[in-house]
Amino acid sequence: MHKLRVADINLLIDYKYDTMIKQAAFYKADFDKPDVTIDIPSENYDLWSKESPHLSMNDIEYIYTGAAFYEALLHFNGFMLHSSGVVKDGYAYLFSADPGTGKSTHTELWQKHFGKDKAVIINDDKPAIRLTDNRLWVYGTPWSGKTDKNVNIKVPLGAIVFLERSENNWIREIKPAEAIPLVMQQTIRPVEKDVMIMLLDMLDRVLSSTKLYKLGCNISEEAVEVSYNGIKVEE
Amino acid sequence: MKIKDGYLLREVAGSNIVVPIGEGAIDFSGVITLNEVGAFIWKSLEEDITEAELVDRILAEYDIDKETAQNDVKEYISSLRGAGLIAD
Repeated sequence: MHKLRVADINLLIDYKYDTMIKQAAFYKADFDKPDVTIDIPSENYDLWSKESPHLSMNDIEYIYTGAAFYEALLHFNGFMLHSSGVVKDGYAYLFSADPGTGKSTHTELWQKHFGKDKAVIINDDKPAIRLTDNRLWVYGTPWSGKTDKNVNIKVPLGAIVFLERSENNWIREIKPAEAIPLVMQQTIRPVEKDVMIMLLDMLDRVLSSTKLYKLGCNISEEAVEVSYNGIKVEE
Repeated sequence: MKIKDGYLLREVAGSNIVVPIGEGAIDFSGVITLNEVGAFIWKSLEEDITEAELVDRILAEYDIDKETAQNDVKEYISSLRGAGLIAD
Protein backbone atom coordinates (compact mmCIF):
# COMPACT_ATOMS: atom_id res chain seq x y z
CA MET A 1 0.00 0.00 0.00
CA HIS A 2 1.13 3.54 -0.80
CA LYS A 3 0.55 6.73 1.14
CA LEU A 4 -0.55 9.74 -0.89
CA ARG A 5 -1.98 13.11 -0.03
CA VAL A 6 -4.37 14.25 -2.76
CA ALA A 7 -6.56 17.35 -2.42
CA ASP A 8 -5.57 17.50 1.27
CA ILE A 9 -6.98 14.01 1.80
CA ASN A 10 -4.73 11.28 3.20
CA LEU A 11 -5.02 8.25 0.93
CA LEU A 12 -3.86 4.74 1.66
CA ILE A 13 -3.96 3.22 -1.80
CA ASP A 14 -2.89 0.07 -3.57
CA TYR A 15 -1.42 0.21 -7.09
CA LYS A 16 1.36 -1.52 -8.94
CA TYR A 17 1.36 -0.52 -12.62
CA ASP A 18 3.47 2.07 -14.42
CA THR A 19 0.99 4.88 -15.00
CA MET A 20 -0.07 5.07 -11.35
CA ILE A 21 3.51 4.76 -10.13
CA LYS A 22 4.55 7.64 -12.38
CA GLN A 23 1.48 9.85 -11.81
CA ALA A 24 1.41 9.36 -8.03
CA ALA A 25 5.10 10.11 -7.48
CA PHE A 26 4.49 13.81 -6.71
CA TYR A 27 1.72 13.04 -4.21
CA LYS A 28 3.67 10.82 -1.79
CA ALA A 29 3.08 11.74 1.83
CA ASP A 30 3.48 10.46 5.33
CA PHE A 31 0.73 10.15 7.92
CA ASP A 32 -0.46 7.83 10.67
CA LYS A 33 -4.13 7.60 9.90
CA PRO A 34 -5.61 7.61 6.40
CA ASP A 35 -8.82 9.52 5.63
CA VAL A 36 -9.59 7.12 2.79
CA THR A 37 -8.36 3.64 1.88
CA ILE A 38 -8.52 2.51 -1.74
CA ASP A 39 -7.82 -1.19 -1.95
CA ILE A 40 -9.69 -2.69 -4.89
CA PRO A 41 -10.00 -6.52 -4.84
CA SER A 42 -8.29 -8.28 -7.74
CA GLU A 43 -11.63 -9.95 -8.65
CA ASN A 44 -12.99 -6.50 -9.51
CA TYR A 45 -10.02 -5.79 -11.76
CA ASP A 46 -10.50 -9.15 -13.48
CA LEU A 47 -14.17 -8.38 -14.07
CA TRP A 48 -13.47 -4.90 -15.51
CA SER A 49 -10.74 -6.38 -17.67
CA LYS A 50 -13.24 -8.88 -19.12
CA GLU A 51 -15.75 -6.07 -19.72
CA SER A 52 -13.14 -3.92 -21.48
CA PRO A 53 -10.70 -6.32 -23.16
CA HIS A 54 -9.17 -3.46 -25.20
CA LEU A 55 -7.79 -1.91 -22.00
CA SER A 56 -4.56 -3.03 -20.34
CA MET A 57 -4.43 -3.78 -16.59
CA ASN A 58 -2.31 -0.64 -16.33
CA ASP A 59 -5.14 1.48 -17.82
CA ILE A 60 -7.82 -0.26 -15.77
CA GLU A 61 -5.91 0.40 -12.54
CA TYR A 62 -5.50 4.08 -13.48
CA ILE A 63 -9.20 4.48 -14.37
CA TYR A 64 -10.70 2.68 -11.38
CA THR A 65 -8.40 4.02 -8.66
CA GLY A 66 -9.35 7.45 -10.00
CA ALA A 67 -13.06 6.62 -9.94
CA ALA A 68 -12.70 5.42 -6.32
CA PHE A 69 -10.90 8.59 -5.32
CA TYR A 70 -13.46 10.92 -6.93
CA GLU A 71 -16.31 9.04 -5.28
CA ALA A 72 -14.59 9.40 -1.90
CA LEU A 73 -14.00 13.09 -2.62
CA LEU A 74 -17.76 13.71 -2.41
CA HIS A 75 -17.57 12.91 1.32
CA PHE A 76 -15.05 15.72 1.85
CA ASN A 77 -16.96 18.74 0.51
CA GLY A 78 -15.51 18.09 -2.90
CA PHE A 79 -16.28 16.94 -6.40
CA MET A 80 -14.56 16.31 -9.72
CA LEU A 81 -15.26 18.37 -12.80
CA HIS A 82 -14.29 16.78 -16.10
CA SER A 83 -12.25 19.71 -17.39
CA SER A 84 -8.81 21.01 -18.25
CA GLY A 85 -7.72 23.41 -15.53
CA VAL A 86 -5.21 26.18 -16.16
CA VAL A 87 -3.74 28.43 -13.46
CA LYS A 88 -3.01 32.04 -14.39
CA ASP A 89 -2.23 34.90 -11.97
CA GLY A 90 -3.08 32.73 -8.97
CA TYR A 91 -6.53 31.55 -10.08
CA ALA A 92 -7.61 28.25 -11.62
CA TYR A 93 -9.87 28.41 -14.68
CA LEU A 94 -11.63 25.18 -15.56
CA PHE A 95 -12.57 24.46 -19.19
CA SER A 96 -15.17 21.73 -19.27
CA ALA A 97 -16.53 19.79 -22.25
CA ASP A 98 -17.15 16.30 -23.59
CA PRO A 99 -14.04 14.31 -24.55
CA GLY A 100 -12.74 15.26 -27.98
CA THR A 101 -14.16 18.80 -27.98
CA GLY A 102 -10.80 20.47 -27.48
CA LYS A 103 -10.50 21.54 -23.85
CA SER A 104 -6.88 20.34 -23.61
CA THR A 105 -6.13 21.98 -26.95
CA HIS A 106 -7.49 25.26 -25.59
CA THR A 107 -5.42 25.22 -22.38
CA GLU A 108 -2.38 24.21 -24.46
CA LEU A 109 -2.94 27.41 -26.44
CA TRP A 110 -2.92 29.34 -23.14
CA GLN A 111 0.50 27.86 -22.44
CA LYS A 112 1.72 28.78 -25.91
CA HIS A 113 0.38 32.33 -25.57
CA PHE A 114 1.46 33.14 -22.01
CA GLY A 115 4.38 30.71 -21.56
CA LYS A 116 4.39 27.46 -19.61
CA ASP A 117 5.62 29.20 -16.45
CA LYS A 118 2.72 31.72 -16.50
CA ALA A 119 -0.08 29.32 -17.49
CA VAL A 120 0.20 26.07 -15.55
CA ILE A 121 -2.04 23.07 -16.21
CA ILE A 122 -3.13 22.01 -12.71
CA ASN A 123 -4.97 18.97 -14.09
CA ASP A 124 -5.68 18.31 -17.75
CA ASP A 125 -8.80 16.20 -17.32
CA LYS A 126 -10.16 15.72 -13.80
CA PRO A 127 -9.26 18.44 -11.29
CA ALA A 128 -10.70 18.18 -7.78
CA ILE A 129 -12.66 21.09 -6.32
CA ARG A 130 -13.08 21.40 -2.57
CA LEU A 131 -14.71 23.77 -0.14
CA THR A 132 -12.33 24.37 2.78
CA ASP A 133 -11.96 27.39 5.06
CA ASN A 134 -15.10 28.76 3.43
CA ARG A 135 -13.36 29.03 0.08
CA LEU A 136 -13.40 26.99 -3.14
CA TRP A 137 -10.05 25.48 -4.10
CA VAL A 138 -8.94 23.59 -7.19
CA TYR A 139 -6.41 20.80 -6.68
CA GLY A 140 -4.21 18.85 -9.00
CA THR A 141 -4.53 15.05 -8.69
CA PRO A 142 -2.61 12.07 -10.15
CA TRP A 143 -5.59 11.32 -12.40
CA SER A 144 -5.31 13.67 -15.37
CA GLY A 145 -6.71 11.62 -18.25
CA LYS A 146 -4.64 10.88 -21.31
CA THR A 147 -1.88 13.36 -20.50
CA ASP A 148 0.43 13.50 -17.50
CA LYS A 149 -0.28 17.21 -17.02
CA ASN A 150 -1.06 17.71 -13.35
CA VAL A 151 0.58 19.59 -10.51
CA ASN A 152 0.26 18.92 -6.79
CA ILE A 153 -0.91 22.40 -5.79
CA LYS A 154 -4.10 24.08 -4.59
CA VAL A 155 -5.33 27.33 -6.11
CA PRO A 156 -8.53 29.38 -5.64
CA LEU A 157 -11.21 28.68 -8.25
CA GLY A 158 -11.40 31.56 -10.74
CA ALA A 159 -14.18 30.52 -13.12
CA ILE A 160 -15.84 27.53 -14.77
CA VAL A 161 -16.11 27.70 -18.55
CA PHE A 162 -18.15 25.32 -20.72
CA LEU A 163 -16.33 25.08 -24.02
CA GLU A 164 -17.69 24.31 -27.46
CA ARG A 165 -16.17 24.46 -30.92
CA SER A 166 -16.99 27.47 -33.03
CA GLU A 167 -15.69 29.18 -36.17
CA ASN A 168 -15.65 32.52 -34.37
CA ASN A 169 -14.49 33.12 -30.82
CA TRP A 170 -17.11 34.31 -28.38
CA ILE A 171 -17.77 34.23 -24.65
CA ARG A 172 -20.86 34.89 -22.56
CA GLU A 173 -21.62 34.63 -18.88
CA ILE A 174 -24.30 32.10 -17.97
CA LYS A 175 -26.60 31.71 -14.98
CA PRO A 176 -26.41 28.76 -12.57
CA ALA A 177 -29.65 27.32 -14.00
CA GLU A 178 -27.97 26.93 -17.41
CA ALA A 179 -24.84 25.42 -15.85
CA ILE A 180 -26.55 22.74 -13.72
CA PRO A 181 -27.19 20.18 -16.49
CA LEU A 182 -23.74 20.88 -17.97
CA VAL A 183 -21.97 20.21 -14.67
CA MET A 184 -24.06 17.11 -14.04
CA GLN A 185 -22.91 15.73 -17.40
CA GLN A 186 -19.26 16.32 -16.53
CA THR A 187 -18.97 14.78 -13.09
CA ILE A 188 -19.36 11.37 -11.49
CA ARG A 189 -23.01 10.96 -10.54
CA PRO A 190 -23.39 9.03 -7.32
CA VAL A 191 -26.06 6.37 -7.12
CA GLU A 192 -26.75 6.51 -3.36
CA LYS A 193 -29.18 9.16 -2.18
CA ASP A 194 -27.08 10.55 0.68
CA VAL A 195 -24.03 10.95 -1.57
CA MET A 196 -26.14 12.58 -4.30
CA ILE A 197 -27.30 15.08 -1.66
CA MET A 198 -23.64 15.82 -0.85
CA LEU A 199 -22.93 16.47 -4.55
CA LEU A 200 -25.98 18.70 -5.03
CA ASP A 201 -25.24 20.72 -1.89
CA MET A 202 -21.67 21.18 -3.09
CA LEU A 203 -22.92 22.31 -6.52
CA ASP A 204 -25.35 24.68 -4.79
CA ARG A 205 -22.37 26.38 -3.20
CA VAL A 206 -20.12 26.28 -6.27
CA LEU A 207 -22.68 27.52 -8.78
CA SER A 208 -23.99 30.30 -6.51
CA SER A 209 -20.55 31.77 -5.86
CA THR A 210 -18.53 31.15 -9.03
CA LYS A 211 -18.43 32.99 -12.35
CA LEU A 212 -19.80 30.68 -15.07
CA TYR A 213 -19.32 31.08 -18.82
CA LYS A 214 -19.90 29.51 -22.19
CA LEU A 215 -17.03 29.80 -24.64
CA GLY A 216 -17.15 29.12 -28.36
CA CYS A 217 -13.66 28.86 -29.73
CA ASN A 218 -11.47 27.84 -32.62
CA ILE A 219 -7.80 26.86 -32.46
CA SER A 220 -5.97 30.18 -32.46
CA GLU A 221 -4.26 32.65 -30.17
CA GLU A 222 -7.25 34.93 -30.65
CA ALA A 223 -9.30 32.23 -28.89
CA VAL A 224 -7.02 32.64 -25.86
CA GLU A 225 -7.37 36.43 -25.87
CA VAL A 226 -11.18 36.24 -26.08
CA SER A 227 -11.40 33.66 -23.32
CA TYR A 228 -8.78 35.21 -21.00
CA ASN A 229 -10.18 38.75 -21.33
CA GLY A 230 -13.69 37.42 -20.79
CA ILE A 231 -13.04 35.38 -17.65
CA LYS A 232 -10.03 36.80 -15.81
CA VAL A 233 -10.63 37.63 -12.15
CA GLU A 234 -10.16 41.36 -11.56
CA GLU A 235 -8.46 42.04 -8.26
CA MET B 1 -51.03 8.27 -7.29
CA LYS B 2 -47.48 9.23 -6.44
CA ILE B 3 -44.08 9.93 -7.92
CA LYS B 4 -42.09 6.77 -8.61
CA ASP B 5 -39.25 5.94 -6.26
CA GLY B 6 -35.74 6.69 -7.35
CA TYR B 7 -35.80 10.47 -7.78
CA LEU B 8 -34.43 13.26 -5.64
CA LEU B 9 -35.72 16.84 -5.65
CA ARG B 10 -33.26 19.44 -4.37
CA GLU B 11 -32.74 23.18 -4.67
CA VAL B 12 -29.43 24.00 -6.36
CA ALA B 13 -28.39 27.64 -6.76
CA GLY B 14 -32.00 28.83 -6.94
CA SER B 15 -33.28 26.08 -9.27
CA ASN B 16 -35.48 23.15 -8.27
CA ILE B 17 -33.90 20.16 -9.89
CA VAL B 18 -34.79 16.49 -9.97
CA VAL B 19 -32.18 13.80 -10.53
CA PRO B 20 -32.52 10.02 -10.60
CA ILE B 21 -30.87 8.01 -7.85
CA GLY B 22 -30.37 4.29 -7.42
CA GLU B 23 -30.77 2.06 -10.46
CA GLY B 24 -32.54 4.77 -12.50
CA ALA B 25 -29.38 6.87 -12.34
CA ILE B 26 -27.59 4.37 -14.54
CA ASP B 27 -30.06 4.72 -17.45
CA PHE B 28 -30.89 8.41 -17.21
CA SER B 29 -28.14 11.00 -16.94
CA GLY B 30 -30.30 14.08 -17.41
CA VAL B 31 -31.62 16.69 -15.02
CA ILE B 32 -35.25 17.84 -14.71
CA THR B 33 -35.75 21.48 -13.75
CA LEU B 34 -39.04 22.44 -12.08
CA ASN B 35 -40.55 25.88 -11.51
CA GLU B 36 -41.89 26.80 -8.07
CA VAL B 37 -45.36 25.33 -8.56
CA GLY B 38 -43.87 22.28 -10.24
CA ALA B 39 -41.67 21.68 -7.22
CA PHE B 40 -44.67 22.10 -4.91
CA ILE B 41 -46.67 19.54 -6.91
CA TRP B 42 -43.68 17.17 -7.04
CA LYS B 43 -43.24 17.36 -3.24
CA SER B 44 -46.96 16.73 -2.72
CA LEU B 45 -46.73 13.69 -4.98
CA GLU B 46 -43.92 12.15 -2.96
CA GLU B 47 -46.70 10.62 -0.88
CA ASP B 48 -49.79 8.89 -2.26
CA ILE B 49 -52.41 11.55 -3.00
CA THR B 50 -55.50 12.00 -5.19
CA GLU B 51 -55.85 14.63 -7.86
CA ALA B 52 -58.58 16.39 -5.84
CA GLU B 53 -56.37 16.49 -2.74
CA LEU B 54 -53.56 17.96 -4.81
CA VAL B 55 -55.87 20.73 -6.10
CA ASP B 56 -56.90 21.51 -2.51
CA ARG B 57 -53.27 21.80 -1.42
CA ILE B 58 -52.50 24.19 -4.25
CA LEU B 59 -55.54 26.32 -3.39
CA ALA B 60 -54.32 26.49 0.22
CA GLU B 61 -50.84 27.55 -0.89
CA TYR B 62 -51.39 29.82 -3.89
CA ASP B 63 -53.79 32.61 -4.62
CA ILE B 64 -55.51 31.13 -7.70
CA ASP B 65 -59.07 30.04 -8.51
CA LYS B 66 -60.17 26.44 -8.42
CA GLU B 67 -60.63 26.04 -12.16
CA THR B 68 -57.09 27.23 -12.92
CA ALA B 69 -55.68 24.94 -10.24
CA GLN B 70 -57.60 21.96 -11.63
CA ASN B 71 -56.40 22.64 -15.17
CA ASP B 72 -52.79 23.14 -14.05
CA VAL B 73 -52.79 19.94 -12.04
CA LYS B 74 -54.33 17.95 -14.90
CA GLU B 75 -51.78 19.26 -17.35
CA TYR B 76 -48.89 18.75 -14.97
CA ILE B 77 -49.87 15.21 -14.07
CA SER B 78 -50.35 14.27 -17.69
CA SER B 79 -46.83 15.46 -18.51
CA LEU B 80 -45.38 13.57 -15.54
CA ARG B 81 -47.34 10.51 -16.61
CA GLY B 82 -46.07 10.93 -20.18
CA ALA B 83 -42.52 10.95 -18.84
CA GLY B 84 -43.19 7.74 -16.93
CA LEU B 85 -42.66 9.37 -13.53
CA ILE B 86 -46.03 8.48 -11.90
CA ALA B 87 -46.82 5.23 -10.13
CA ASP B 88 -50.56 4.64 -9.66
